[in-house]
Formats: sequence, structure tokens, C-alpha cells
Amino acid sequence: MQSELCDNYVMRSTRHVANDAQGPEMGHYSDPPLLVLASLASGPKHGHAMIEDIASLCGTRLGPGTLYGAIARLERVGWIEPLEQEERRRPYRITAQGLSVLRAKLSTLEQFVRAGVERLEPL
Amino acid sequence: MKPALARLLVRLYPYAWRERYGEEFEAVLLDDAGDLRSGINLGANVIWSALCERVFPTQGGKMAQPTHSFGTMLKHPSALIPVAMSLTALALVLGHIAIYGAAREADEGATAHLWQLLMAGQLPVLAFFAIKWLPRAPKQTLGVLVVQAGAVLASMAPVFYFNL
Repeated sequence: MQSELCDNYVMRSTRHVANDAQGPEMGHYSDPPLLVLASLASGPKHGHAMIEDIASLCGTRLGPGTLYGAIARLERVGWIEPLEQEERRRPYRITAQGLSVLRAKLSTLEQFVRAGVERLEPL
Repeated sequence: MKPALARLLVRLYPYAWRERYGEEFEAVLLDDAGDLRSGINLGANVIWSALCERVFPTQGGKMAQPTHSFGTMLKHPSALIPVAMSLTALALVLGHIAIYGAAREADEGATAHLWQLLMAGQLPVLAFFAIKWLPRAPKQTLGVLVVQAGAVLASMAPVFYFNL
């Protein structure tokens, strides 16, 4: 299921959309489904609000196509759900299952970061 | 982004995807107020994503649910107008019979002409509805066509019954 969420096209399609203030892809993290889950962890948001929130969260500016690719797949697996449409915008919220997936993923990332930083220290 | 360009980009996605996400996606595109370079990047991102959606369509989620129920199909103007025209024609005939009786008249009056106009006028609308919706939602469209046919038969029944 996790591999389905990280479909190559979703990963690749952010390459040219991110703001590269520090050079190409330097310091940017691009896993759209995880970024969407992390954005919705602070409350329901519609598409444009998610793009802005993710940009402020990690500097990655998702393209609308990438964002909706991730939204469609996250909705399919039940990790996010749509709310009532507000005019033309539809907000989404993270589900309980989505929250537990986000916790698990962030925990794995935390371990990875800790191990990576430890390896960098002697260099 | 300009509305026409946003609409064009949304149309690159498959129909089922547009039905589910099209409106909100277009709203996101319209919210973009970047410069030319970011606009080109955004366009490329959408084109690539739409292409991928066509090759690897998203299944399940809300898209797995039927988007056209019988009720929503019946609410389309092209579904409702023929039914309304048939019922109006029926009301005309019944009103005429109630006032003037069921005797056949040698000369066709205004009621007969109105009835003919209503019955003939709904044919292009019926054809439009069938051509537009039969390929998209055959089952529900057939249901609506049955309702429309029922209304046509109901308005024709007194004409043939009383040999008007």
C-alpha cells in the first residue's frame, strides 16, 4: 500500500515545481502523500491551502497535478476524507487511519534522521 | 491563471477524474498567481499528471461510486423538459375534452396545433439527452428514457382513445 502511494510519477512530477532557493532540490523533501498527511494533521484544508502550508512546512511547493495525484490516492486508501464543498473548494481532513500511518512514517523518518546525523558527525 | 486555460488543463484529465475532482482542481489552478516561469512549470506539472492519470487511472475512493444516479439524471434540463412538454400536452387534451367534449372536430383548432408543437418540439431535446448521456451512464439514461416514453404515451393515449 505504501509503495502504491509513492508512485514514481507523483515523486518525479514535483521536481520542476519546487522552489529551489538553495540550488536544485537542495534540502527539499518530496514525498507528496506524506506531505499532504502532515499538512492535514494541523486541521482540514483545501487544495490551495495545502500547497501553501506544505511550502511553509518544508520548502517544497507541490504542483496542483502532484497534489491531486496524492489526494486521490490517499482518499482511495482511506487515509484522508473529503468534507462538504465550500463554493468551489473542497476541504479534506485526515482520518484516524491516516494519523496512525503518519505517526508510523514520521517515527521511521526520525530513526533515519538520527542514524544519518550520527554518521555525519565524525566527518 | 486565466479561467479558459484552467478549464483546458482540467479537460486533459479522464472524464471520471474530472467528475470527481474537476471543479475543486480548477479552483486550485485559478488560485495560482505566479509569474510566467512558474506558470509554465505548473502547466507542465498538470499535463504530466493528467497523462499519468490516463495511463494509471485512480480507482476506488469516491470515483468508484456511481456519479449519475437516476434522481440526478432526471434533474437534467434535457431529461425534464420533454416530460414537462408531454404532461403539458396531456393537460391541454384533457382540458379540451373537459370543455368541448370528446367529439372529433373537422377543423384542427389551436389546441391540436399546440399539442403537435409540444410533441414534435421535444424530439430534438430527447435526442440530445440520449446522445449525451447514453454512452456515459447507459442504465440510468435508459431509466429516464422510459419515463419520457411513458409521458409521451400518456399524452397520446386520449388522442387515440377518443380518436380526436
